[in-house]
Amino acid sequence: MPKIEKISNRQLMVLVFLYTIGSTILIIPSGLAAIAKQDAWIGALVGVVMGGVTVGLYILLWRLFPGRTFVGICEAVLGKWIGALLSIMFMFYSFIGSVTVLFYAGNFFKINFLPHTPFPLINILFAAVVVIGVRMGLETISRTSELMLPWVLILLAVLVFTLAPEINTENMLPVFEFGWKSLFWAGFSFAGTAYMPIVFLFAVFPSVLNVEKAQIGMYFAAIMGGICVVLITLLCIMILGPNITSRSMFPSYALVKKISIGNFFQRVEVIMAGLWFVTTFLKTTFYFYGWVSSLSEILKLNNYRSLTLPCGIIMIVFSLVVYPDVVYMQYWDSTIFPPYILTMGIFIPLLLWIAGLTKKKLNLDSKKNE
Amino acid sequence: MMIRKLVSLLLAISLVLPLAGCWDRRELNELAISVAMGIDKSGSQYQVTVQVVQPGEVAMQKGGSEGMTPVTLYKAEGTTIFEAIRKMTTVSSRKIYAAHLRIIVIGEELAREGIGDALDILSRDYELRSDSFLLIAKGTTAAHTLGILTPLEKIPANKIYESIQTSEKVWAPVISVTLDKFINDIESKGKNPVISGIKVSGSNEKGGSLGNMKTTQPAVSIQNNGLAVFRKDRLIGWLNQEDSKGYNYILNNIVSTVGHVDCPHGGQVALEVIHSEAQIKSSFQNGRPRLAVELRTEQNVGEVKCQIDLTDMQVIRELEQQAEQVLQGILEHLLEVSQKKYKSDFIGFGNALHRSNPGEWRSLKTDWDEIFEDAETDVTVKVKIKRTGTVTNSFMEERE
Repeated sequence: MPKIEKISNRQLMVLVFLYTIGSTILIIPSGLAAIAKQDAWIGALVGVVMGGVTVGLYILLWRLFPGRTFVGICEAVLGKWIGALLSIMFMFYSFIGSVTVLFYAGNFFKINFLPHTPFPLINILFAAVVVIGVRMGLETISRTSELMLPWVLILLAVLVFTLAPEINTENMLPVFEFGWKSLFWAGFSFAGTAYMPIVFLFAVFPSVLNVEKAQIGMYFAAIMGGICVVLITLLCIMILGPNITSRSMFPSYALVKKISIGNFFQRVEVIMAGLWFVTTFLKTTFYFYGWVSSLSEILKLNNYRSLTLPCGIIMIVFSLVVYPDVVYMQYWDSTIFPPYILTMGIFIPLLLWIAGLTKKKLNLDSKKNE
Repeated sequence: MMIRKLVSLLLAISLVLPLAGCWDRRELNELAISVAMGIDKSGSQYQVTVQVVQPGEVAMQKGGSEGMTPVTLYKAEGTTIFEAIRKMTTVSSRKIYAAHLRIIVIGEELAREGIGDALDILSRDYELRSDSFLLIAKGTTAAHTLGILTPLEKIPANKIYESIQTSEKVWAPVISVTLDKFINDIESKGKNPVISGIKVSGSNEKGGSLGNMKTTQPAVSIQNNGLAVFRKDRLIGWLNQEDSKGYNYILNNIVSTVGHVDCPHGGQVALEVIHSEAQIKSSFQNGRPRLAVELRTEQNVGEVKCQIDLTDMQVIRELEQQAEQVLQGILEHLLEVSQKKYKSDFIGFGNALHRSNPGEWRSLKTDWDEIFEDAETDVTVKVKIKRTGTVTNSFMEERE
């Protein structure tokens, strides 16, 4: 049995923060603006509120089963066979998650920077870093994310301050034009992209030291991450306007193209894209970690490391075919992803929590009766 | 162990390969850096003109010129613009690189037929950026306009770009329109777009030769000239200087400008606008939209050409009133042009209505242009004169 890796509560905070921002920041403003037009940022705020509930649910589940991964929880609640079935569903979804985020990363490069570089090559390079990271272990990734945090914060601050002169508040009006219904859906798609994937961090939870503090920290970090994306969405609406935001593949990238201070601080979008690389890298990494660690737990392996290489290869191959084209990608993201993530991110954890709670109560009662 | 070391060494050496550069590298000497693109109609096809920088000529030290023009034009025709641009490689030795595009000029003929389709590629292609200016070549083709060489700035596209940038800050009738702005206007139901026009003035033949740059008074020059009014994506007419000025006043595009008012006893006073703030206030009265414009400006006396006592407060008040009347006239004329002549809401009253009364707007937006035509308008102008420059009265005060 290898030594169990440990991460501090602060490290968990950092990685939840970056994980929440990752890939959300790149794609979500467009979807929000398509649903709620100029109210997209309110939709994002609604999403943060929903996200608060979601993360709260995860913390409850964590408290009920401290020291267990998602796979462990399934087994404890539903028994060996049904639990394994659920675990496989869960594992499969983290697999899909890692593959789709890898596709996003490659797609972003392909469209904006390297149009003539073969798509597989981009994905191989990106995936190689992810696989190496996961092989090195949780502690290494956590420290890496701590190292990257200041850069992400600096870039975010630069982005907000350099774009401030371009703000046109008229674009926000009229507020609440389409009512609560569209805001609800916008918020839901936001929470689905930013918060529900946190369910895959259950693979990380048993390694966290100082659980009490970590839970509060995680909650705080998730909200802060969401607020950052709300801010970016708000900037997209105020600067690009709802029409162009909803029409862009990567609205926040279109946004940083606008940076121009005094005719010399301009065309910095590639530097700003560092924000996307770092956060998307972390998101892919943890989807991937969730996948391989769950798989190894289901197969009762001692160590997940032997799985990283084969799984990495599967991930690369699948990332090339997961979306046959970008139009399918948009269709999948808007119609299939929401109910899917709702099932995996809300219904199943909720089910597990209720079942776990009753089971514990029954156990207590039967003990009393004895 | 030996084999292990050997393999590691080989792997380490193989890392040198990617160091050579990335897949998509393009060296500077393989690029044709285009600074301006012109789009015209040619039968059922597009004619695309690209102004490409001659790096050697632009970077040349004084006196070392070989007498070549600083830019070259490439032209190609195609059913789509994308094809036309690629086709240019048949005449140019280098591939067109569009990331430094400053201006996009559209020929008037094409603009009258509609430019929406032509602009799609500009927002779709990854190389293009959203900060280039859109312009309409007034009364001519884009190709002709881009063929003119200009003094002071060696690259004509830069000349046009910078002159718009400078001019929109100090001279009211000029405004820059970027692609983003244009697309936003087209998509919103409550505002029709407007694009600046540029005009070639002077005799036609000499403009494209170096000779045009060798005299102190170039025979041909390019001038920013009025605004082109659109309905959806079709050009329907032009605003003259005064109306363009009014447009910029209402849309709050004025940083500074100069205008004049008549003195009571002949002569004029030039007033410099140092601050201007306009608000569009749309509202509903008896179910009909009422469109109001409120303009407040602060001005300085800049030049006095008549006998007037600037130390007298009463005189200043009178000047203010005069200036108010002049501005009122400009704005009212613009509204009339907009409602009666072009029947197109290019000012954005519809959007203002959308912001203030989203509920009513929903029922109006489909045929807003017709409703706009008969809407009541109301203009109020407030002028405040703040300073009179470095002197009080003109030294010619005692003129006969």
